[in-house]
Amino acid sequence: MSSKINVRRFSLTQMMFHFFLIITFMLLSVTGIAWMYIETSWGKALATPFGGYVGALEVHRITGLILLAGFGIHILYTIWKVDWKHFPRSLFSRDSLVFQWRDVKDFILHLGWILGLSKGPQFDRWSWWEKFDYWAVWWGLIIVGVTGLMLYDPVFSSDYMPGWLLNIALWVHRIEAVLAMAHIFTIHFFIEHWRPRCFPFSATMFEGSKSIEHLREEHPAWVARIEAEGRMDEMLCPSAPVPLRILYFGVGYALIGLGVFLLVFALLNVGLLTLKL
Amino acid sequence: MKIPDLIQVCLLCLMSIIVLASQQAVAAAPHPYEAAGTGYFRDGDTLPGAYLQYRQSSEYGGSLWGLGPGGGNVKRSSFWADAHSGVDSYMLRSCASCHEDQRYSLHSSRGNVTCVQCHRGQPISGINHYYSGMNPIRRHAYVCAKCHEAASASFATYVIHEPPPLASSTVEEFPLFYYAVLFMMILAVGVFALFIPYVTLWGLRELIGLFTERRNTDV
Repeated sequence: MSSKINVRRFSLTQMMFHFFLIITFMLLSVTGIAWMYIETSWGKALATPFGGYVGALEVHRITGLILLAGFGIHILYTIWKVDWKHFPRSLFSRDSLVFQWRDVKDFILHLGWILGLSKGPQFDRWSWWEKFDYWAVWWGLIIVGVTGLMLYDPVFSSDYMPGWLLNIALWVHRIEAVLAMAHIFTIHFFIEHWRPRCFPFSATMFEGSKSIEHLREEHPAWVARIEAEGRMDEMLCPSAPVPLRILYFGVGYALIGLGVFLLVFALLNVGLLTLKL
Repeated sequence: MKIPDLIQVCLLCLMSIIVLASQQAVAAAPHPYEAAGTGYFRDGDTLPGAYLQYRQSSEYGGSLWGLGPGGGNVKRSSFWADAHSGVDSYMLRSCASCHEDQRYSLHSSRGNVTCVQCHRGQPISGINHYYSGMNPIRRHAYVCAKCHEAASASFATYVIHEPPPLASSTVEEFPLFYYAVLFMMILAVGVFALFIPYVTLWGLRELIGLFTERRNTDV
Protein backbone atom coordinates (compact mmCIF):
# COMPACT_ATOMS: atom_id res chain seq x y z
CA MET A 1 0.00 0.00 0.00
CA SER A 2 1.48 3.27 -1.10
CA SER A 3 -0.13 5.20 1.81
CA LYS A 4 1.95 3.10 4.20
CA ILE A 5 5.21 4.44 2.83
CA ASN A 6 7.16 6.72 5.13
CA VAL A 7 10.12 9.08 4.66
CA ARG A 8 13.00 8.70 7.09
CA ARG A 9 13.34 11.86 9.16
CA PHE A 10 15.44 11.02 12.24
CA SER A 11 18.34 8.62 12.73
CA LEU A 12 18.37 6.09 15.55
CA THR A 13 20.94 8.22 17.43
CA GLN A 14 18.72 11.28 17.21
CA MET A 15 15.71 9.32 18.47
CA MET A 16 17.81 7.99 21.35
CA PHE A 17 18.82 11.55 22.26
CA HIS A 18 15.18 12.60 22.26
CA PHE A 19 14.07 9.61 24.34
CA PHE A 20 16.92 10.18 26.81
CA LEU A 21 15.80 13.81 27.08
CA ILE A 22 12.16 12.76 27.71
CA ILE A 23 13.09 10.40 30.53
CA THR A 24 15.53 12.73 32.31
CA PHE A 25 13.28 15.76 31.77
CA MET A 26 10.26 13.98 33.25
CA LEU A 27 12.20 12.65 36.23
CA LEU A 28 13.59 16.15 36.87
CA SER A 29 10.11 17.64 36.49
CA VAL A 30 8.52 15.28 39.00
CA THR A 31 11.28 15.62 41.61
CA GLY A 32 11.68 19.36 41.04
CA ILE A 33 7.95 20.08 41.33
CA ALA A 34 7.76 17.79 44.36
CA TRP A 35 10.40 19.98 46.02
CA MET A 36 8.81 23.25 44.91
CA TYR A 37 5.42 22.08 46.24
CA ILE A 38 6.70 20.18 49.29
CA GLU A 39 4.64 22.38 51.64
CA THR A 40 1.43 21.12 49.98
CA SER A 41 0.03 17.61 50.39
CA TRP A 42 0.25 17.15 46.60
CA GLY A 43 3.97 17.93 46.67
CA LYS A 44 4.52 15.50 49.54
CA ALA A 45 2.64 12.82 47.59
CA LEU A 46 4.86 13.45 44.55
CA ALA A 47 7.97 13.08 46.71
CA THR A 48 6.77 9.91 48.40
CA PRO A 49 7.97 7.43 45.72
CA PHE A 50 11.45 8.89 46.16
CA GLY A 51 11.35 8.60 49.94
CA GLY A 52 10.31 12.14 50.81
CA TYR A 53 11.97 15.40 49.88
CA VAL A 54 15.50 14.30 50.74
CA GLY A 55 15.27 11.38 48.33
CA ALA A 56 13.50 13.49 45.71
CA LEU A 57 16.29 16.09 45.83
CA GLU A 58 18.95 13.40 45.62
CA VAL A 59 17.30 11.87 42.55
CA HIS A 60 16.94 15.39 41.12
CA ARG A 61 20.66 16.08 41.55
CA ILE A 62 21.83 12.80 40.07
CA THR A 63 19.38 12.96 37.15
CA GLY A 64 20.53 16.52 36.49
CA LEU A 65 24.14 15.35 36.28
CA ILE A 66 23.15 12.53 33.91
CA LEU A 67 21.26 15.01 31.72
CA LEU A 68 24.25 17.37 31.66
CA ALA A 69 26.51 14.47 30.67
CA GLY A 70 24.07 13.64 27.88
CA PHE A 71 24.10 17.30 26.83
CA GLY A 72 27.90 17.17 26.69
CA ILE A 73 27.73 14.10 24.45
CA HIS A 74 25.15 15.86 22.29
CA ILE A 75 27.46 18.87 21.87
CA LEU A 76 30.23 16.54 20.69
CA TYR A 77 27.73 14.82 18.36
CA THR A 78 26.70 18.20 16.94
CA ILE A 79 30.31 19.20 16.31
CA TRP A 80 30.91 15.84 14.64
CA LYS A 81 27.81 16.26 12.46
CA VAL A 82 28.86 19.64 11.07
CA ASP A 83 29.97 19.44 7.45
CA TRP A 84 33.46 20.87 8.07
CA LYS A 85 34.49 20.56 4.40
CA HIS A 86 32.05 23.26 3.37
CA PHE A 87 32.24 25.20 6.63
CA PRO A 88 30.90 27.84 7.31
CA ARG A 89 28.59 27.74 4.28
CA SER A 90 27.29 24.34 5.37
CA LEU A 91 25.80 25.89 8.51
CA PHE A 92 23.30 27.68 6.30
CA SER A 93 22.33 24.72 4.17
CA ARG A 94 18.69 23.68 3.89
CA ASP A 95 19.28 20.69 6.17
CA SER A 96 20.83 22.83 8.88
CA LEU A 97 19.05 23.71 12.14
CA VAL A 98 20.72 27.13 12.23
CA PHE A 99 18.23 30.01 12.04
CA GLN A 100 18.33 31.71 8.67
CA TRP A 101 16.67 34.59 6.87
CA ARG A 102 14.32 32.04 5.29
CA ASP A 103 12.91 31.25 8.76
CA VAL A 104 11.90 34.87 9.26
CA LYS A 105 10.11 34.86 5.91
CA ASP A 106 8.52 31.48 6.74
CA PHE A 107 7.32 32.83 10.07
CA ILE A 108 5.67 35.84 8.44
CA LEU A 109 4.12 33.68 5.70
CA HIS A 110 2.87 31.17 8.27
CA LEU A 111 1.33 33.94 10.34
CA GLY A 112 -0.27 35.29 7.16
CA TRP A 113 -1.70 31.84 6.42
CA ILE A 114 -3.09 31.55 9.97
CA LEU A 115 -4.82 34.90 9.55
CA GLY A 116 -6.04 33.95 6.08
CA LEU A 117 -4.00 36.66 4.35
CA SER A 118 -1.59 34.60 2.23
CA LYS A 119 -0.69 31.11 1.08
CA GLY A 120 1.27 29.06 3.58
CA PRO A 121 5.07 28.81 3.45
CA GLN A 122 6.81 25.89 1.72
CA PHE A 123 8.77 24.54 4.69
CA ASP A 124 12.01 22.77 3.91
CA ARG A 125 13.45 20.15 6.25
CA TRP A 126 12.89 22.17 9.44
CA SER A 127 10.11 24.65 10.15
CA TRP A 128 10.90 27.65 12.31
CA TRP A 129 9.17 26.20 15.41
CA GLU A 130 11.12 22.95 15.11
CA LYS A 131 14.34 24.97 15.10
CA PHE A 132 13.06 27.00 18.06
CA ASP A 133 12.26 23.82 20.02
CA TYR A 134 15.72 22.46 19.29
CA TRP A 135 17.64 25.57 20.36
CA ALA A 136 15.33 26.21 23.32
CA VAL A 137 16.73 23.02 24.84
CA TRP A 138 20.23 24.43 24.38
CA TRP A 139 19.69 27.75 26.11
CA GLY A 140 17.36 26.16 28.65
CA LEU A 141 19.92 23.52 29.57
CA ILE A 142 22.71 26.09 29.78
CA ILE A 143 20.65 28.21 32.21
CA VAL A 144 19.33 25.37 34.41
CA GLY A 145 22.64 23.49 34.09
CA VAL A 146 24.87 26.33 35.31
CA THR A 147 22.51 27.31 38.15
CA GLY A 148 21.89 23.65 38.98
CA LEU A 149 25.61 23.00 39.34
CA MET A 150 25.90 26.08 41.56
CA LEU A 151 23.13 24.72 43.78
CA TYR A 152 24.39 21.12 43.73
CA ASP A 153 26.54 21.63 46.84
CA PRO A 154 26.02 25.15 48.20
CA VAL A 155 28.73 24.81 50.86
CA PHE A 156 31.29 23.91 48.20
CA SER A 157 30.21 26.41 45.56
CA SER A 158 30.06 29.32 48.03
CA ASP A 159 33.81 28.91 48.49
CA TYR A 160 34.18 30.19 44.91
CA MET A 161 31.43 32.84 44.84
CA PRO A 162 29.47 34.92 47.34
CA GLY A 163 26.79 32.79 48.98
CA TRP A 164 24.07 35.30 48.08
CA LEU A 165 24.58 34.42 44.41
CA LEU A 166 22.72 31.21 45.27
CA ASN A 167 19.58 33.24 46.05
CA ILE A 168 19.73 34.38 42.43
CA ALA A 169 20.71 30.96 41.09
CA LEU A 170 17.72 29.31 42.76
CA TRP A 171 15.21 31.77 41.31
CA VAL A 172 16.74 31.66 37.84
CA HIS A 173 16.74 27.84 38.00
CA ARG A 174 13.12 27.82 39.13
CA ILE A 175 11.81 30.26 36.50
CA GLU A 176 13.67 28.57 33.64
CA ALA A 177 12.43 25.15 34.78
CA VAL A 178 8.83 26.33 35.04
CA LEU A 179 9.16 27.98 31.61
CA ALA A 180 10.53 24.77 30.08
CA MET A 181 7.88 22.53 31.65
CA ALA A 182 5.00 24.85 30.80
CA HIS A 183 6.27 25.15 27.22
CA ILE A 184 6.66 21.39 26.74
CA PHE A 185 3.37 20.46 28.43
CA THR A 186 1.32 22.97 26.43
CA ILE A 187 2.97 24.41 23.30
CA HIS A 188 5.17 21.46 22.31
CA PHE A 189 2.44 18.87 22.94
CA PHE A 190 -0.10 21.01 21.09
CA ILE A 191 2.03 21.63 18.00
CA GLU A 192 3.30 18.06 17.67
CA HIS A 193 0.27 16.05 18.83
CA TRP A 194 -2.91 18.00 19.46
CA ARG A 195 -3.38 20.38 16.55
CA PRO A 196 -5.98 19.06 14.11
CA ARG A 197 -3.49 17.88 11.46
CA CYS A 198 -1.51 15.75 13.95
CA PHE A 199 -4.22 14.74 16.41
CA PRO A 200 -4.18 12.48 18.39
CA PHE A 201 -0.53 11.43 18.32
CA SER A 202 2.51 11.83 16.09
CA ALA A 203 5.02 9.01 16.47
CA THR A 204 7.74 10.57 14.27
CA MET A 205 10.27 10.75 17.11
CA PHE A 206 9.68 7.08 17.96
CA GLU A 207 9.43 5.67 14.43
CA GLY A 208 11.99 8.02 12.95
CA SER A 209 9.83 8.43 9.88
CA LYS A 210 6.61 10.09 8.77
CA SER A 211 4.11 9.35 6.01
CA ILE A 212 4.96 11.03 2.73
CA GLU A 213 1.47 12.57 2.39
CA HIS A 214 1.82 14.31 5.72
CA LEU A 215 5.31 15.54 4.82
CA ARG A 216 4.07 16.85 1.46
CA GLU A 217 1.71 19.06 3.46
CA GLU A 218 4.07 20.05 6.26
CA HIS A 219 7.49 20.07 4.56
CA PRO A 220 6.72 20.36 0.81
CA ALA A 221 10.04 22.00 -0.13
CA TRP A 222 11.99 19.21 1.56
CA VAL A 223 10.08 16.41 -0.22
CA ALA A 224 10.41 18.26 -3.54
CA ARG A 225 14.15 18.70 -2.99
CA ILE A 226 14.67 15.01 -2.18
CA GLU A 227 12.75 14.05 -5.31
CA ALA A 228 14.67 16.53 -7.46
CA GLU A 229 17.96 15.14 -6.15
CA GLY A 230 16.72 11.61 -6.88
CA ARG A 231 17.26 10.47 -3.28
CA MET A 232 13.66 9.54 -2.55
CA ASP A 233 14.16 5.78 -2.99
CA GLU A 234 16.84 5.60 -0.31
CA MET A 235 14.79 7.80 2.07
CA LEU A 236 11.63 5.69 1.89
CA CYS A 237 10.88 3.05 4.50
CA PRO A 238 7.84 1.10 5.65
CA SER A 239 5.95 2.38 8.66
CA ALA A 240 6.34 0.49 11.93
CA PRO A 241 4.27 -2.69 12.48
CA VAL A 242 1.01 -2.28 14.38
CA PRO A 243 2.17 -3.70 17.76
CA LEU A 244 5.06 -1.25 17.81
CA ARG A 245 2.76 1.62 16.88
CA ILE A 246 0.50 0.65 19.79
CA LEU A 247 3.55 0.64 22.07
CA TYR A 248 4.65 4.09 20.83
CA PHE A 249 1.14 5.42 21.41
CA GLY A 250 0.96 3.92 24.90
CA VAL A 251 4.37 5.15 26.02
CA GLY A 252 3.82 8.53 24.37
CA TYR A 253 0.47 9.10 26.03
CA ALA A 254 1.73 7.92 29.41
CA LEU A 255 4.40 10.66 29.20
CA ILE A 256 2.00 13.27 27.82
CA GLY A 257 -0.44 12.35 30.59
CA LEU A 258 2.26 12.74 33.21
CA GLY A 259 3.12 16.18 31.85
CA VAL A 260 -0.51 17.31 31.83
CA PHE A 261 -1.02 15.90 35.33
CA LEU A 262 1.96 17.91 36.61
CA LEU A 263 0.75 21.07 34.84
CA VAL A 264 -2.87 20.85 36.03
CA PHE A 265 -2.06 20.03 39.65
CA ALA A 266 0.72 22.61 39.79
CA LEU A 267 -1.79 25.25 38.66
CA LEU A 268 -4.44 24.02 41.13
CA ASN A 269 -2.02 24.16 44.05
CA VAL A 270 -0.11 27.31 43.15
CA GLY A 271 -2.18 29.37 45.61
CA LEU A 272 -0.91 27.28 48.52
CA LEU A 273 2.74 28.15 47.90
CA THR A 274 4.41 30.64 50.22
CA LEU A 275 6.85 31.68 47.49
CA LYS A 276 6.31 35.29 46.49
CA LEU A 277 7.43 36.93 43.27
CA MET B 1 65.21 10.35 102.22
CA LYS B 2 62.62 8.67 104.34
CA ILE B 3 60.37 6.06 102.88
CA PRO B 4 57.17 8.10 103.51
CA ASP B 5 58.81 10.97 101.59
CA LEU B 6 59.60 8.60 98.71
CA ILE B 7 55.99 7.45 98.68
CA GLN B 8 54.90 11.09 98.70
CA VAL B 9 57.16 11.89 95.71
CA CYS B 10 55.92 8.83 93.85
CA LEU B 11 52.32 9.76 94.56
CA LEU B 12 53.00 13.32 93.36
CA CYS B 13 54.53 11.98 90.14
CA LEU B 14 51.62 9.64 89.63
CA MET B 15 49.12 12.41 90.24
CA SER B 16 50.87 14.78 87.87
CA ILE B 17 50.96 12.06 85.20
CA ILE B 18 47.26 11.41 85.68
CA VAL B 19 46.46 15.12 85.60
CA LEU B 20 48.68 15.89 82.59
CA ALA B 21 47.53 12.83 80.69
CA SER B 22 43.88 13.63 81.30
CA GLN B 23 44.51 17.23 80.23
CA GLN B 24 46.03 15.96 77.03
CA ALA B 25 42.95 13.85 76.48
CA VAL B 26 40.74 16.89 77.08
CA ALA B 27 42.80 18.93 74.63
CA ALA B 28 42.39 16.25 71.96
CA ALA B 29 38.59 16.43 72.23
CA PRO B 30 37.03 19.32 70.31
CA HIS B 31 36.03 22.41 72.20
CA PRO B 32 32.23 22.61 72.45
CA TYR B 33 32.15 25.61 70.10
CA GLU B 34 34.36 23.86 67.61
CA ALA B 35 32.11 20.84 67.66
CA ALA B 36 29.11 23.07 66.98
CA GLY B 37 30.90 25.14 64.34
CA THR B 38 33.01 24.33 61.37
CA GLY B 39 36.31 24.40 63.25
CA TYR B 40 37.65 25.54 59.94
CA PHE B 41 38.84 28.96 58.95
CA ARG B 42 40.87 29.94 55.97
CA ASP B 43 43.86 32.23 56.48
CA GLY B 44 41.94 35.17 55.08
CA ASP B 45 39.11 34.74 57.57
CA THR B 46 41.32 35.37 60.59
CA LEU B 47 42.83 38.65 59.37
CA PRO B 48 41.56 41.82 61.07
CA GLY B 49 38.54 43.16 59.21
CA ALA B 50 38.42 40.12 56.95
CA TYR B 51 34.73 39.67 57.61
CA LEU B 52 33.97 43.03 56.00
CA GLN B 53 33.91 41.39 52.59
CA TYR B 54 31.03 39.23 53.80
CA ARG B 55 29.08 42.03 55.43
CA GLN B 56 25.67 42.45 53.95
CA SER B 57 25.73 46.21 54.44
CA SER B 58 26.33 48.28 51.35
CA GLU B 59 27.97 51.05 53.37
CA TYR B 60 31.20 49.11 52.88
CA GLY B 61 30.62 49.06 49.12
CA GLY B 62 29.28 45.52 49.17
CA SER B 63 30.75 42.93 46.86
CA LEU B 64 30.35 42.66 43.09
CA TRP B 65 29.96 46.44 42.66
CA GLY B 66 27.23 46.75 45.26
CA LEU B 67 24.88 44.40 43.38
CA GLY B 68 24.56 42.06 46.35
CA PRO B 69 22.19 42.18 49.33
CA GLY B 70 22.40 44.63 52.20
CA GLY B 71 21.02 47.79 50.67
CA GLY B 72 17.91 49.51 51.96
CA ASN B 73 17.08 50.26 55.56
CA VAL B 74 18.93 48.61 58.44
CA LYS B 75 16.91 48.48 61.66
CA ARG B 76 18.58 50.17 64.61
CA SER B 77 17.42 47.36 66.91
CA SER B 78 19.50 44.91 64.87
CA PHE B 79 22.54 46.35 66.69
CA TRP B 80 21.07 45.88 70.19
CA ALA B 81 21.96 43.13 72.61
CA ASP B 82 18.22 42.64 73.17
CA ALA B 83 16.57 43.32 69.85
CA HIS B 84 13.09 43.25 71.42
CA SER B 85 13.68 45.53 74.39
CA GLY B 86 10.72 47.85 74.79
CA VAL B 87 8.30 45.62 72.84
CA ASP B 88 4.93 45.50 74.65
CA SER B 89 3.96 42.15 76.17
CA TYR B 90 6.85 40.55 74.30
CA MET B 91 6.72 37.25 76.16
CA LEU B 92 3.07 36.69 75.20
CA ARG B 93 3.59 37.09 71.46
CA SER B 94 4.67 34.72 68.70
CA CYS B 95 7.48 35.74 66.35
CA ALA B 96 5.19 35.81 63.30
CA SER B 97 2.73 38.19 65.00
CA CYS B 98 5.23 40.97 64.22
CA HIS B 99 7.63 39.43 61.68
CA GLU B 100 4.98 38.49 59.14
CA ASP B 101 7.34 38.98 56.18
CA GLN B 102 9.94 36.71 57.75
CA ARG B 103 7.45 33.96 58.47
CA TYR B 104 8.13 31.95 55.34
CA SER B 105 11.50 30.99 53.94
CA LEU B 106 12.85 27.82 52.41
CA HIS B 107 14.14 26.97 55.88
CA SER B 108 10.80 27.29 57.61
CA SER B 109 8.34 26.16 54.95
CA ARG B 110 10.39 23.27 53.56
CA GLY B 111 12.91 22.39 56.24
CA ASN B 112 10.57 22.93 59.22
CA VAL B 113 13.27 25.06 60.87
CA THR B 114 11.79 27.33 63.56
CA CYS B 115 12.83 30.96 64.22
CA VAL B 116 14.67 30.31 67.47
CA GLN B 117 16.82 27.54 66.03
CA CYS B 118 18.87 30.32 64.40
CA HIS B 119 17.86 33.43 66.40
CA ARG B 120 18.85 31.72 69.60
CA GLY B 121 18.65 32.44 73.32
CA GLN B 122 16.75 34.98 75.41
CA PRO B 123 17.10 37.86 75.06
CA ILE B 124 17.45 37.46 71.29
CA SER B 125 20.22 39.78 70.16
CA GLY B 126 20.06 41.84 67.00
CA ILE B 127 21.82 40.13 64.09
CA ASN B 128 24.35 42.97 63.85
CA HIS B 129 25.13 43.12 67.57
CA TYR B 130 28.81 42.53 68.02
CA TYR B 131 28.47 39.50 70.30
CA SER B 132 25.47 37.98 68.51
CA GLY B 133 25.88 34.50 67.11
CA MET B 134 24.21 35.89 64.00
CA ASN B 135 26.87 38.55 63.47
CA PRO B 136 28.39 37.95 60.02
CA ILE B 137 31.79 37.49 61.69
CA ARG B 138 30.74 34.18 63.19
CA ARG B 139 27.30 33.40 61.76
CA HIS B 140 28.63 30.64 59.52
CA ALA B 141 30.28 28.81 62.41
CA TYR B 142 27.73 29.43 65.17
CA VAL B 143 24.48 29.12 63.21
CA CYS B 144 24.76 27.79 59.65
CA ALA B 145 27.21 25.02 60.46
CA LYS B 146 24.78 23.47 62.93
CA CYS B 147 23.23 21.82 59.89
CA HIS B 148 25.45 22.77 56.92
CA GLU B 149 28.72 21.12 57.81
CA ALA B 150 31.80 23.18 56.85
CA ALA B 151 29.74 26.32 56.11
CA SER B 152 31.97 29.29 55.27
CA ALA B 153 31.42 32.99 55.89
CA SER B 154 30.62 33.37 52.21
CA PHE B 155 28.00 30.61 52.48
CA ALA B 156 26.42 32.55 55.35
CA THR B 157 25.70 35.54 53.10
CA TYR B 158 22.87 33.54 51.49
CA VAL B 159 19.78 35.61 52.29
CA ILE B 160 17.43 33.33 54.25
CA HIS B 161 14.59 35.85 54.43
CA GLU B 162 14.89 36.91 50.82
CA PRO B 163 12.59 39.73 49.75
CA PRO B 164 9.99 39.07 47.04
CA PRO B 165 12.31 39.41 44.01
CA LEU B 166 10.11 41.75 41.99
CA ALA B 167 8.98 44.00 44.86
CA SER B 168 9.96 47.60 44.17
CA SER B 169 12.02 47.82 47.38
CA THR B 170 14.18 44.90 46.21
CA VAL B 171 15.91 47.10 43.60
CA GLU B 172 17.61 48.82 46.51
CA GLU B 173 17.86 45.89 48.93
CA PHE B 174 19.35 43.33 46.54
CA PRO B 175 19.80 44.80 43.02
CA LEU B 176 21.19 41.79 41.14
CA PHE B 177 18.43 39.58 42.56
CA TYR B 178 15.80 41.98 41.20
CA TYR B 179 17.37 42.36 37.75
CA ALA B 180 18.14 38.65 37.26
CA VAL B 181 14.58 37.62 38.14
CA LEU B 182 13.17 40.46 36.03
CA PHE B 183 15.20 39.26 33.02
CA MET B 184 14.00 35.67 33.48
CA MET B 185 10.38 36.80 33.83
CA ILE B 186 10.61 38.87 30.64
CA LEU B 187 12.02 35.81 28.86
CA ALA B 188 9.27 33.52 30.19
CA VAL B 189 6.39 35.91 29.66
CA GLY B 190 7.77 36.78 26.20
CA VAL B 191 7.79 33.14 25.08
CA PHE B 192 4.18 32.61 26.15
CA ALA B 193 2.98 35.97 24.88
CA LEU B 194 4.21 34.85 21.44
CA PHE B 195 3.19 31.20 21.48
CA ILE B 196 -0.18 31.05 23.25
CA PRO B 197 -2.08 33.37 20.87
CA TYR B 198 -0.09 31.97 17.96
CA VAL B 199 -0.91 28.29 18.48
CA THR B 200 -4.52 29.07 19.43
CA LEU B 201 -5.12 30.83 16.11
CA TRP B 202 -3.11 28.14 14.33
CA GLY B 203 -5.31 25.38 15.75
CA LEU B 204 -8.45 27.27 14.72
CA ARG B 205 -7.05 27.81 11.23
CA GLU B 206 -6.34 24.09 10.80
CA LEU B 207 -9.79 23.22 12.08
CA ILE B 208 -11.39 25.58 9.58
CA GLY B 209 -9.11 24.16 6.88
CA LEU B 210 -10.20 20.59 7.64
CA PHE B 211 -13.90 21.52 7.52
CA THR B 212 -13.62 23.39 4.23
CA GLU B 213 -11.60 20.51 2.73
CA ARG B 214 -14.29 18.06 3.76
CA ARG B 215 -17.00 20.27 2.31
CA ASN B 216 -15.09 20.56 -0.97
CA THR B 217 -14.65 16.78 -1.24
CA ASP B 218 -18.35 16.27 -0.41
CA VAL B 219 -19.30 18.56 -3.30
